[in-house]
Amino acid sequence: MTQITPEILTNKTPESPPNPPNWLRYFSFSTDHKVIGIQYTVTAFFFFLVAGIFAMIIRGELITPEADLVDRTVYNALFTMHGTIMLFGWMFPVLAGLANYLVPLMIGARDMAFPRLNAAAFWMVPFFGMMFILSFLVPGGPAQAGWWSYPPVSIQNPSGQWLNGEFLWLLAVALSGVSSIMGAVNIVTTIVRMRCPGMGWFKMPIFVWTVLAAQIIQLFGLPALTAGAIMLLCDLSFGTTFFDPAQGGDPVLFQHFFWFYSHPAVYVMILPVFGIFSEIFPVYARKPLFGYKVVAVSSLIIVALSAVVWVHHMFASGTPDWMRMLFMISTMLISVPTGIKVFAWVATIWGGKLRLDSAMLFALGGLINFVFSGITGIMLSSTPVDIHVNNTYFVVGHFHYVIYGAIVFGLYAAIYHWFPKMTGKMYYEGLGKLHFWLTFIGTSLNFIPMHPLGLMGMPRRVASYDPEFAFWNFIASIGAFILGMSIIPFLVNMVASWLSGPSAPDNPWRAIGLEWLVSSPPDVENFEEIPIVISEPYTYGTSEPLTENMGG
Amino acid sequence: MTNVLTQENLNHSSQVAAHEHEHDEAGNSMFGFIVFLLSESVIFLSFFAGYIIYKTTTSDWLPVGVEGLEVREPAINTVILVSSSFVIYIAERYLHKENLWGFRFFWLLTMAMGSYFLYGQAVEWQSLQFGFSSGVFGGTFYLLTGFHGLHVFTGVLLQGIMLMRSFLPGNYEKGQFGVEATSLFWHFVDVIWIVLFILIYIWQ
Amino acid sequence: MKFKTILNLVAIAITLGAISIGIGQLSYSWLPPQASVESQLIDNLFSFLVTLGTFIFLGVTGTVMYSILFHRAGRYDLSDGPPIEGNVTLEIVWTAIPFLLVLWIAVYSYQTYMEMSIRHPMEMAHMPMAKAIAPAYAEPMDEAVEPMTNIEVEAKQWAWVFHYPEKNITSTELHLPVDRRAHLILRSLDVIHGFYIPAFRVKQDIIPQKNMDFEFTPIRTGKYRLRDSQYSGTYFAAMQADVVVESKEDYQQWLEEAAKRTPSAAPNEAASEYALREEKSAESAWVTVVPASEPIVNYHP
Ligand code: HEA
Ligand code: HEA
Ligand code: CUA
Ligand SMILES: [Cu+2]
Repeated sequence: MTQITPEILTNKTPESPPNPPNWLRYFSFSTDHKVIGIQYTVTAFFFFLVAGIFAMIIRGELITPEADLVDRTVYNALFTMHGTIMLFGWMFPVLAGLANYLVPLMIGARDMAFPRLNAAAFWMVPFFGMMFILSFLVPGGPAQAGWWSYPPVSIQNPSGQWLNGEFLWLLAVALSGVSSIMGAVNIVTTIVRMRCPGMGWFKMPIFVWTVLAAQIIQLFGLPALTAGAIMLLCDLSFGTTFFDPAQGGDPVLFQHFFWFYSHPAVYVMILPVFGIFSEIFPVYARKPLFGYKVVAVSSLIIVALSAVVWVHHMFASGTPDWMRMLFMISTMLISVPTGIKVFAWVATIWGGKLRLDSAMLFALGGLINFVFSGITGIMLSSTPVDIHVNNTYFVVGHFHYVIYGAIVFGLYAAIYHWFPKMTGKMYYEGLGKLHFWLTFIGTSLNFIPMHPLGLMGMPRRVASYDPEFAFWNFIASIGAFILGMSIIPFLVNMVASWLSGPSAPDNPWRAIGLEWLVSSPPDVENFEEIPIVISEPYTYGTSEPLTENMGG
Repeated sequence: MTNVLTQENLNHSSQVAAHEHEHDEAGNSMFGFIVFLLSESVIFLSFFAGYIIYKTTTSDWLPVGVEGLEVREPAINTVILVSSSFVIYIAERYLHKENLWGFRFFWLLTMAMGSYFLYGQAVEWQSLQFGFSSGVFGGTFYLLTGFHGLHVFTGVLLQGIMLMRSFLPGNYEKGQFGVEATSLFWHFVDVIWIVLFILIYIWQ
Repeated sequence: MKFKTILNLVAIAITLGAISIGIGQLSYSWLPPQASVESQLIDNLFSFLVTLGTFIFLGVTGTVMYSILFHRAGRYDLSDGPPIEGNVTLEIVWTAIPFLLVLWIAVYSYQTYMEMSIRHPMEMAHMPMAKAIAPAYAEPMDEAVEPMTNIEVEAKQWAWVFHYPEKNITSTELHLPVDRRAHLILRSLDVIHGFYIPAFRVKQDIIPQKNMDFEFTPIRTGKYRLRDSQYSGTYFAAMQADVVVESKEDYQQWLEEAAKRTPSAAPNEAASEYALREEKSAESAWVTVVPASEPIVNYHP
């Protein structure tokens, strides 16, 4: 249940606490949004590695047709926890971390609206994350019903134990929801009420727009998942029959609850990445963002549409015709506001003065991958085609292409771009480029083969498969291992640069934005004096200053 | 009470008042709290939607031996809970006029009414011949009333805290956010109950 | 715009169009053999989507690649690009075109869907069969004359059993006569399963406690694979069966022959794997729902 007492909300910003400028504060209950931002990001990355190792075992199992590496129950647990930890332990926290770090700086605020709530929301992440991992130790093993946790499979509980993996899974997902709601309340309040003077809606950087849009989705979507999870928990542990068809329950209703949130959730993930693209292209192409206002507003259109498309995950679930057709069309419509953004980026790059630093490489790669995966998304939205490829590797290919190809690429772009600001150090460009190429090749080899596999009819969530699928699976596994290796130059780069990289100037990329007007890393208070914004965000090519009092 | 919010804080443009924003923490808190309540209401909406779907599609809706729900007692309960929304409003008015004892009296009265509601619900639960696991009907009934009851309980708890705080000297000099938020929460719980009452008791 | 630019654009569009059509044709080869009427309809739609998708993808990435190759800043060039902030006409165009494309895709998909006439599975559950055949949809082949093949499909953790009411026989292999509309009643005994034959491009989740009606028309003899498509627990991957599409005569003969056999236990992968696992009492495995024992059927391969 998501209960926040007003007490937490009333907490004051501590008046500039004496901060020990050492690494220890990253392990403390700090209320500085910048510390929390980095705490989120690093914690999330830990879970990314954990879930990534699960993926490596999955690909190891799938490199041959037989189920020979791990037992089937273990395989099922692995893909369930891979999907779950990737989404709840990596995706949402890392995005919350970036938003935490950047939003107050970008809107000229000293901190988030509710600093203590912010810290509380963060500290729940390691807690529920460990719950996922520790669920490997309970009798019966962790949840094995996939990340959708569809009943009746999810409520079968073969171990007969009260403390079972599914139980812990539901609890951890609920906690993750509480944490996300706390974060969303905080971020929305911050954006609506803490903008510096002069920063009207249409002077906000696009990243702030997209974060706002994404957090609005969290606010209306997560409660539906929570409702479904509560009912599922009651079925699992307290003898109710909401979703048990044998006793009059309706398992398909759970699917509606689940997708009512989990479809919009994909836009929670991609929207901030659209924001990152919109920040990065102008900087490295030295041109204003093309059609700024339309790009800003299209995020809100996506939010509205995202609430009315969820049934496209249930085309084969026995949904009536009218539902299938209605949701097919609403889903397809999403490509219009999304296309507006894509074309705006292409036009931003066009005729610019491109500089292919690591951040720009990842952003460009992410854009290309996104267009590819968006198009496979449109294919999926066409009901007759989806009937064939639903629950096959085509879907797995589609969403890894978005999630890895576009979102993770975007996140890497963001990390490279803002790394100097966050740490005060420059990273090593050569390692960054190596990281990009390994990632790009790995992604293509890993996820492209999944499309032909799906078209041939290979179902997802299988530990063994028919020999006809062996070839493409082999390629995919090789790609996955390359992708696994690609993390190494990244980690080396980050750690080495942070410890002993050359120190960074305030604005190494000659970028326009409030965050680039303060020192690297920024002071605890962010701004000595609150900036007064006088121009639109992306004025490359003109000499208009961004602020009245701080230049830019 | 929400007038504080709408007039003073929500509308003024950030251009003019950003410096005040920095210090307008009560305003931020109230805004955040409203956002939170909107989000929370979606949980109830989901439960309501689920209830409607079950009610309209389940073939054997009532468990064997159950005729339906008694409406009289819950109706009395409803009247009390709804009236308490007016009482809490009066309490708030007294606080605005800085009449602390008037505030405390009506505030306590609200708490009493809320507690009576909980008591009434407990009595009702005791008398029912079906339980949480009696099919989808029993499940949804206890889920909805129980989840709402939990909110009433939280409301009474918050009211208790606010009541105690009113005895701290100078507690309201920094603003009355706690009281306003609690009161808003109470109205919210009330509105939810009205919908719930109509769905479960009236629409049988 | 200069005449030359327009000419260039047209030339590029034509080239892209040609490539896209080529890849659209190629896309048929990415799919399994077309063994049902439905598969032809879906493949045409898919090929269309691939063509359109290729065009969009190449258009967008081509433009990006062009910028990457030819719009690079020189090493010491610190100047900015032209401060172009937008272009209303262009923005309207690139909102309108995708919108129209979406309408096109939607209409085409809708038509295909109608032709497949995959109907609401519960729609006919309680209707007499005669009504179900009423041709309210495009009739593939000549099955208006021929009665449909009625088969009851039973799914459970983790086995498929097919019951032919005509002759009252059971089998773990699905036999279907070619060129005749098949009508199936899908049932599940435990969790949600999915009925999926890739070569037919048809799929339907089976919700327990419901009789799900399902139809399609096989048009090509041969042996295909039926797979469970809705994750159903431990031995989900092993829940497969063969589908044999054969001529009317062969089908009749098979029915007859099967009717003569006495029911015996069919081999079942889940059950045998489970037995093996219990024998070894493997420690590296978690408890599982116990598979149903081997189904007793008239016919099994
Ligand atoms: C995380 C990010 C993310 C994003 C952004 C998307 C974006 C889209 N997705 Fe995807 N999707 C997932 C993540 C995502 N998806 C996941 C995780 C699943 C599976 C979950 C699971 O089953 O476990 C899934 C599954 C999924 C399904 C269900 C498949 C099935 O289970 O059978 C469908 C079906 O409609 C779908 C469609 C779409 C569409 C239409 C878009 C659109 O938003 C794409 C829009 C973009 C473009 C179209 C490209 C750019 C536009 C242009 C260049 C303009 C011109 C284009 C046209 C006119 C076409 N997705
Ligand atoms: C954020 C979301 C996210 C991300 C980033 C990924 C990343 C990856 N996923 Fe993920 N995946 C999901 C979300 C995600 N996945 C979801 C939601 C599902 C559905 C689950 C379900 O069906 O319920 C799924 C399912 C899924 C499947 C299908 C399983 C099945 O249906 O049976 C597969 C199979 O190949 C797969 C593979 C991979 C691989 C190889 C990566 C790689 O990109 C991972 C790369 C990262 C690393 C490798 C980690 C770091 C490296 C090291 C620690 C060191 C080096 C190690 C070695 C070289 C061995 N995933
Ligand atoms: Cu068997 Cu799903
Ligand atoms: Cu979706």
